[in-house]
Amino acid sequence: MSTALRVEGLTKRFAGVAANDDVDFDLRPGEIHCLFGENGAGKSTLSSCIFGFYRPDKGQIFVRDQPVHIASPIDAIRHGIGMVHQHFVLVPEFTVLENIIVGTQRSGWRLNAAEARQKLKAICDGYGLDIDFDAYVWELPVGRQQWVEILKALYLDAEILILDEPTAVLTPAESRILFDIMGKMCARGLSIILITHKLIEVMQSNRVTVLRKGKVVATLNTVETSPDELARLMVGRDVSFAITKPELKPGETVVAVKGLTAHGHWGEAVLKDVSFSVARHEILGIAGVAGNGQKELFEVLCGVRKPQAGSIRLMDEEIAGLTPRCLMDRGVGHIPDDRFREGLVPEFNVAENLVLGWQRNAKYRSGPLINFKAIAKLSREMIAEYQIATRDEKVTAGKLSGGNAQKIIIAREFRHAAGLMLANQPTRGLDVGVIEYVQSQLLRKRAEGFAVILASEELGDLFGLADRIAVMFKGEIMGIVDPRNTTISEVGVMMAGRRQGTTQ
Amino acid sequence: MIRFEPRTERDGLWTAASFAMAVVAGLAVSALLLASTGADVGQVFAALVQGAAGSPKALATTLVKATPIILTGLATVIAFRAQLWSIGQEGQVFAGAMGGYLGGQVLAGMPPLLFFPGVLAFGMAAGMALGWLAAQLRNRFGVNEIISTVMLNYLVIYLLSWLLQGGPWGENGATISYQQSPMLPEDAFLPALFGSNRLHAGVLLPFLAAALCAVVISRTPLGYEIRGLGYNPEALRHKGVNIARTVTIVMMASGALAALAGATELFGVAHRLRADNLVGLGYAGIIVGMIGGLRPLGTVVAGLFFGGLASGAVYMRVLGDVPASLVPAIQGITLFFFLCAGVLARYRVVRVAFQ
Repeated sequence: MSTALRVEGLTKRFAGVAANDDVDFDLRPGEIHCLFGENGAGKSTLSSCIFGFYRPDKGQIFVRDQPVHIASPIDAIRHGIGMVHQHFVLVPEFTVLENIIVGTQRSGWRLNAAEARQKLKAICDGYGLDIDFDAYVWELPVGRQQWVEILKALYLDAEILILDEPTAVLTPAESRILFDIMGKMCARGLSIILITHKLIEVMQSNRVTVLRKGKVVATLNTVETSPDELARLMVGRDVSFAITKPELKPGETVVAVKGLTAHGHWGEAVLKDVSFSVARHEILGIAGVAGNGQKELFEVLCGVRKPQAGSIRLMDEEIAGLTPRCLMDRGVGHIPDDRFREGLVPEFNVAENLVLGWQRNAKYRSGPLINFKAIAKLSREMIAEYQIATRDEKVTAGKLSGGNAQKIIIAREFRHAAGLMLANQPTRGLDVGVIEYVQSQLLRKRAEGFAVILASEELGDLFGLADRIAVMFKGEIMGIVDPRNTTISEVGVMMAGRRQGTTQ
Repeated sequence: MIRFEPRTERDGLWTAASFAMAVVAGLAVSALLLASTGADVGQVFAALVQGAAGSPKALATTLVKATPIILTGLATVIAFRAQLWSIGQEGQVFAGAMGGYLGGQVLAGMPPLLFFPGVLAFGMAAGMALGWLAAQLRNRFGVNEIISTVMLNYLVIYLLSWLLQGGPWGENGATISYQQSPMLPEDAFLPALFGSNRLHAGVLLPFLAAALCAVVISRTPLGYEIRGLGYNPEALRHKGVNIARTVTIVMMASGALAALAGATELFGVAHRLRADNLVGLGYAGIIVGMIGGLRPLGTVVAGLFFGGLASGAVYMRVLGDVPASLVPAIQGITLFFFLCAGVLARYRVVRVAFQ
């Protein structure tokens, strides 16, 4: 057996546009093979064809060198192909065991839980996975939920595993564990197709196939290539990773937070006595592992969550507890981390999304009616200025890639905000080219005199962009450091819960 | 072999074709049903068409029958577009009739130019009150609007029943108690149009209301918020829209539209307060709104179609000799195929070769 899976000349068109154009791809037994490319390069289309969601217009798929016809995911599973989606397909109210066996039973109506438990136990022991089969899925952290998805595929005897951007929802620590597990799986003969656009992950694979605009640009042995070469292949031009940040003297204080405390749904403290201030011409970075209060901090700052105690002064006005509307009117811009849920109405078109929140503004109205003409004109200007890749302003926002969706949000917030810009994970899940763009835009706002609060899980980004970095752990600030005289590992230790200046 | 694939963009021609197929299929299945009762299918359909649109009188009846269900259909559209699944149209129709009746007593003797707008406003206020109540239950206590509106329907329907039987509004002096109020004075009848004896001025209201709904939904900031609320309330909340307030406005507007149907039935058709001619108008409106694709103009078309079916039913029964209860069956069959067409319009049919 020379290949676990091979794809020859695969072509898939959508409305005449080739999402995959004559793609050749092969997966060797026991390797991790990365599919690397920008959003919309055709990675997901290719994996969807392999897993039977789409049927290719042309081309042939071989499993273990035998030509196969995969008409549906059921066929794919029968051929030993498993897929773990970026967004999990789990029932939160079911236990781990129930999630795995429901819908995967092969023998009629009877749920044979005992037998399934035994089989799963064997799989878990083999890979060193420690998971409670009787825990409810909603109780599990995201990383463990992903294990459940992987177990589901392994339970169905998958020998070829497709992982679609598996680390998009994971913390750095969880990602490391995932890669350990993947290594063990390959050692036992499984073959893995890893879809990603993070260079750091590509470098941990055996081989990489770079896609651009639906075509295979290159298939390389990972050890023989470099991140720079891969980025160039992906984008089709040179990309600069170095961020050049001009020295600016911080101006007057824009926002001052003191003793901010907020409770979660069950009354637990999600923010504890948080204090900091940000001045004009300054970017305050917020570092921390996901789920340590960053999201709640942004929610309080933009008004969708009410704080229990503490004060927020914006230009010497107390704003704690005001509604999002009041804060928007006072010049607070917000780029939320969940862009399609909190930042956009995916069913609205680009133009409508560019005025979301400002639909009642006199500039966009004529009398009681919305002035769609004025909005269209403005939208075309903004599409050009922010380089949003869309046919025109009438395209539904949900059809755009994550990067272009993010550009819509940035364009809207930059247009309407004055003074304070909140950006929570603005580069998460984006392509290298777009990340570069978003970062340059944040620096532009800093130069214009905005105070910027930027949370990111990529420490490298924070060190490049922020003037000061506040490290959060379990809703508290462990310390605020100057990136010029602090190392990444010092911040890493604070992210794990050690206070600044203490040794324990 | 053929196969269905989701469409990335809507195709107007294909959508029209889907609905045309739905009409044909609906008629074909209805024909089978009619044939199974031993009726002459051709004759029955001829009677149906004649009764729906065969004469000015038939057209007038169609319009009169379509009026309340277009209004309740619009009530459905405005709520469902915001993904507020109000089933309260039925009760709101009753409330509209009751509010109108109360208004008729309060405003008795006023000049017509004040009286008719006044009683319609009374009726709409009653429907708005019900919508407001359901909205408050949802906003404050998280009560699902489906549950609250269904429960309120019972409440309102039994309230009318009590008011008419044993209550203050029943017809006095009769040895047998009918569930109805005394006849309204003749100057409280909605004026007739074109000298017809059945075409009341209220038939203009659904068209005005539909035009207003269309403009509000697609061209005003409120409509933008209603559509946005239906698609993604979380994004709206983050961008400063007061969700609770929008929900309240939508539920009140929906209630007002449904109530208007009850009030026009009272002053334009029944001329006395009774339950039997109001039953089912709210639920029919849900069907009409859905078939209309939750669009105001589509709802007008669907409402006229159903109005025609209702009007033609009389002829069908007389000329075609079929039981009138087949009409709701035909309506149900049509709805089924229209819903299918709605799904079909979102897919494309692809021919695939056997491999």
